[in-house]
Amino acid sequence: MKGSLKGGDDASVKGRHIKIDSDSDSEGFLEEKSRTSSKGSSVKGGGKIPSDSLKSGKKVSLDSLKSGGKASFNTPIGSGGKDYKTGKAGGKGSLPHAQAVKVPIVEVDLKLELDLPKDAKVLMDCEATEILEGIQDHLLVLSRDPEIKMPESFNKALQHSKYGSHYTDVQSVRQVLDTLKVNGVTDGEICMIGNILPESVDEVYALVPSLKDNRDNNEGPIKDVLSNLAKYRNPK
Amino acid sequence: MFFHISMEKNMQLHPRHFGPHLRDKLVAKLMKDVEGTCSGRHGFVVAITGVDDIGKGLIREGTGFVTFPVRYQCVVFRPFKGEILEAVVTMVNKMGFFAEAGPVQIFVSNHLIPDDMEFQTGDVPNYTTSDRSVRIQKDSEVRLKIIGTRVDATEIFCIGTIKDDFLGVINDPGAAA
Repeated sequence: MKGSLKGGDDASVKGRHIKIDSDSDSEGFLEEKSRTSSKGSSVKGGGKIPSDSLKSGKKVSLDSLKSGGKASFNTPIGSGGKDYKTGKAGGKGSLPHAQAVKVPIVEVDLKLELDLPKDAKVLMDCEATEILEGIQDHLLVLSRDPEIKMPESFNKALQHSKYGSHYTDVQSVRQVLDTLKVNGVTDGEICMIGNILPESVDEVYALVPSLKDNRDNNEGPIKDVLSNLAKYRNPK
Repeated sequence: MFFHISMEKNMQLHPRHFGPHLRDKLVAKLMKDVEGTCSGRHGFVVAITGVDDIGKGLIREGTGFVTFPVRYQCVVFRPFKGEILEAVVTMVNKMGFFAEAGPVQIFVSNHLIPDDMEFQTGDVPNYTTSDRSVRIQKDSEVRLKIIGTRVDATEIFCIGTIKDDFLGVINDPGAAA
């Protein structure tokens, strides 16, 4: 253990720049996770990562670690490279991180509308399949032109959307799901319900936890929608 | 998750393309430039579905190139935190496994795989429960939850978990064998 952190005294850490390195796989994401959790739990979780990592002689990069109220990690997510190293994660050393991972993941809300343009329309997988298959058919006509070639990602996306197409009648499914809008269910949540084709109400609440806040209002309608969706289910 | 959105881009066109097919050239160039790209804000641009408007061109001084503002609609694919995705496992190792959902790569660390599943080495590395009833190996289909995303210029990379209720293997290719 390094002297600067010895004794785990928060005051000695205060305001100082600590650089601990780690080669854990999911570093950047762990920090993101604790950011989404409440302040209290982020202190708990944040505190654990460095001390455990130190013991195992691993590396974690933290830009700042404040004592008291909150421990915040300023590592920019998505800056690439720095936070995310897959290269040399060893099986042996990664064990202590099990604790860090156990930081309670507070239900993550779907904040689609916030970071996408307002006119963005959420498509269920089955709707996307219809559009993409239409383009693919169109492409067969155009394929004589060697300049027009769809990228690999198109085929992958089409394949993926087909996995999620569980229904025989897309329009009816959309109509059924849209009835949930009056109960305050957002487009993103509706889309997730459509894509995962849940079999029970419990499954819906487990997989789309943001719906739990308004459970009193939406439980009944969701039950109705699930039984309606079952009618359009594609027998595989 | 897929989205249908409207986007705008300034396209530069060389004067040699001017003529009766200028619009076609512009659209072909747009498709070539945009499809398959990836941005942090919008995600993967899967396909252009239509061109709404092509504005008036503006000659760039000194070069002869003309810039046209083009407004178009496209289908994009973007994963976000908390989303449930069905993905196909592409690689399994002792650190966890990689899976693919469309153009997106997802890594599930072994800490985010249920504790009762253990890594087994061999020709087909896999994670198996102690009673051998559930197995994750290459080509297995899993339902996972995204807990973090990272976007760079050409790809989106995600961290996922299957350590939660109603998550895990949907279809096991090894079961049939």
